[in-house]
Amino acid sequence: MFSDHQTSRRITAGDARKRGSDGQLRSNGDLHPSTGQKGEHRRGDRRADSFTTPDSVRPVSRHKDWGSEVEAEELRMSKNRDALRSRRRILTAEPGSRERTVSSGSCDSRDSASPAEVETDENILSRRQKQINYGKNTLAYDRYIKEVPKHLRQPGVHPRTPNKHRKYSRRSWDQQIRMWKVKLHNWDPPTEDGDLQAVEQIDLGDFMDIELDPDEETGTHYPCMTSTEDQNDEDSGTSRKMKKTEELQKV
Amino acid sequence: MEGSGKEEYKIQSFDMETQNLLKTALKDPSAVDLDKVSNVIMDQSLKDQVFSKEAGRICYTIVQAEAKQNNGSVFRRNLLNRLQQEFKGREEMRKRSVQEWVCYVSFICNVFDYLKVNNMPMMALVHPVYDCLFQLAQPDSLRNEEEVDCLVLALHRIGEQLERMSQQRMDELFCLLRDGFLLQEDLSSLARLLLLEVLEFRAGGWTLSETAQKYYYSEVTD
Repeated sequence: MFSDHQTSRRITAGDARKRGSDGQLRSNGDLHPSTGQKGEHRRGDRRADSFTTPDSVRPVSRHKDWGSEVEAEELRMSKNRDALRSRRRILTAEPGSRERTVSSGSCDSRDSASPAEVETDENILSRRQKQINYGKNTLAYDRYIKEVPKHLRQPGVHPRTPNKHRKYSRRSWDQQIRMWKVKLHNWDPPTEDGDLQAVEQIDLGDFMDIELDPDEETGTHYPCMTSTEDQNDEDSGTSRKMKKTEELQKV
Repeated sequence: MEGSGKEEYKIQSFDMETQNLLKTALKDPSAVDLDKVSNVIMDQSLKDQVFSKEAGRICYTIVQAEAKQNNGSVFRRNLLNRLQQEFKGREEMRKRSVQEWVCYVSFICNVFDYLKVNNMPMMALVHPVYDCLFQLAQPDSLRNEEEVDCLVLALHRIGEQLERMSQQRMDELFCLLRDGFLLQEDLSSLARLLLLEVLEFRAGGWTLSETAQKYYYSEVTD
């Protein structure tokens, strides 16, 4: 079936070829099938059972058993989908609303200068989500979403949840969260000593955000701020509160 | 009766008690010991070649049922871990019984084909499946028609998906197959035919041209 010519050409080509870990078929033109057994054994010795090719496709797994590995995979993928959804929102919905927010002078105007960049750092995303959760886990938020349906909300007038998937500096993000929560307080359930209570709640909420979230990302955005903030972590909340009032005055 | 579905047929090879266990697992997974269920399916797959080629479907149905019922994945976890356990001992298994080994590969490939995570193949299985196929592409496996048949069937079913997950390894695998086809002198003509077909199959973008189809499947005359 095969001409000698073809076969021999193939063999010479093969001899010159370098092989990976599975290329034990030929060693120095040793083509006799009997090497198969030997090859099999060699392979078994060299390879661990969990052998994996260092292939870029496969991230190094931290899980020993396949069951956990697949569960982690599932989790990762649902997070990715979540990110995709938000990314689409960044690309489609934002430009219009951004223009309007500029004129309203809200904190959103800050990002209109920069192109839509996407935040991918898991730590940052989960910290931001936590902050958002605090805001959403309020009576005010429940009342707000009930009273004002989505299509009636106006940018600059109604609170809008900051988009955690956009790139913001730590300071910008925290400020957006603060402003969002301040606005949400307009939907607080009515109380007897109304205003005073609201102020107290703002204080507590902001204080908790800062206190509960480790200050990891600050360094990347505001290198000069990191040191002072780190020092303050040890101190009482006074300096932080002062900083906060400063910022509130600026707005 | 045959028309009543493959699942019925497959389950009938079990004893009554096991049949009931499986039937309940399909309908109400939380009511049974899912560890036992995964072991029953695995054990049967290792014994029964026909079952091993289609058992992924039962697994799929149980996984779906469990997810729907209580968002759980106990069965999948047990199944995968049992598969892994057998994978670790695969060299011994092949020495012990080639038939069992072939059944194992059919089963893991079928599970890979049926069970998806968010519509994507399970990454955790990609390289183990490749490792199995590489083993089937070794010269002494190619001498065994049973193993060649298993290898080729697997590639027909999941080759395209596997390639998408790691083209590099598929390329390596096909180097072995070409070498085997071309250089290995003690292959049976059936093994050569199967190899040639799968080489053409991948070369044609995981499909056979009409003429190739004709050549391999309809020109058989007695």
